[in-house]
Amino acid sequence: MMKRSGVWASLLALGIATGAAGIALGQDSLPEPSPIEKTLAERATHVTEVTLDKNMLAFASKFMDADKDDDKDDKAVKDMIRNLKGVYVREYEFDKEHSYTGAELEGLRKYFESADWSPMVHERTKGVAEGTDVYVKLVNGQMQGLFVLDAEAKELSLVLILGPIDVDKIGKLGGNFGIPKDVAKRAQKEAGK
Amino acid sequence: MKQTETKATAWSMVLVPLGIAAVMTPAIMLAASGSGQGFDSVVNSIESRYHAHATKIPFMWLVSGIAGVATHGGVRGLHVAEFDDFKGDGDGVDGAEFNALIEKHVGSGWQRMVRETTRKTGGGGGEQSLIYVRAEGSHVGMLVVDLDGHELDVVQMSMNPDQLMHEVSKHRHHHDKSDDSSSSDGSDSSNGSDNKAAGESE
Repeated sequence: MMKRSGVWASLLALGIATGAAGIALGQDSLPEPSPIEKTLAERATHVTEVTLDKNMLAFASKFMDADKDDDKDDKAVKDMIRNLKGVYVREYEFDKEHSYTGAELEGLRKYFESADWSPMVHERTKGVAEGTDVYVKLVNGQMQGLFVLDAEAKELSLVLILGPIDVDKIGKLGGNFGIPKDVAKRAQKEAGK
Repeated sequence: MKQTETKATAWSMVLVPLGIAAVMTPAIMLAASGSGQGFDSVVNSIESRYHAHATKIPFMWLVSGIAGVATHGGVRGLHVAEFDDFKGDGDGVDGAEFNALIEKHVGSGWQRMVRETTRKTGGGGGEQSLIYVRAEGSHVGMLVVDLDGHELDVVQMSMNPDQLMHEVSKHRHHHDKSDDSSSSDGSDSSNGSDNKAAGESE
């Protein structure tokens, strides 16, 4: 009897965990941090975590250069930021090469993956756990989200942007809100293809 | 008999307000000092956990007042606490524990925007930066906890982003104008090229 209830409890827990992982990107709200992030942070020498919801983005965008409002392009970027629903950035720097495993990368991909998201880029380096993944969320033909997982020898970056995104302006987000410049530029290049 | 009743009523008239005051005073004091959460709570928790003593900047209320007037309300409610020669647990702090401590005492309403951690190398105490924000009507509250080696600073302020940027842009225009006039005199002008986006890089 005890054994059977234990099995049911395990199944229920598994169901909840799977559901939580499945809806991680399905909703418009920012996800809870993945458990893998904690283990990565313990090994990293430098960790940057930036979490901005819609309200915080509206606040942060106000501190962007007011004079640049005269520039149409910069004003469009500011407007795009104002309409975003959230930005979630994690950057880990390690002192040794490949301080993360392929399984951890796969775990992160699975955690953030859901039906709404379409894989755009799957780039792998043969023999090592390195590579780049770019996922986009398309709603009625408009990009409503971008997820980038960039794994380099000593660096691992995870960028999640939720909300309406102008493909041509993604690169301009680099350097803002903790989004690495190279990751933003790369995402713009890949998404614009 | 009537005299006894009058006496009892008089006593109750004194004792009831006194009782209410006795019950309410600690709650009012706690609310007024803000020790339940936010700046004071964070500073106190660091002091008691790491047996350190914070140095509060003298006349901070005056500095805060001047900042408020100078920025026309752009910045107000400045609080600063410094921990010099902060040793943490002797050889720095455990990042996860430090973060959890701040998270526990910062209180409701505050949301963590940025966390940056650099593991110590050699004898240093490592680096921990935490930035929290909360909505305060037209203002935005910001609480920064920054540990750099053996120096730990806790800063809280309330900002009006619109007003602050208005002030910044006013001074910038003034600066650019004076640059223009000097360039028309034949001198070289930087033309405000150093005006990097304020929101750039957390």
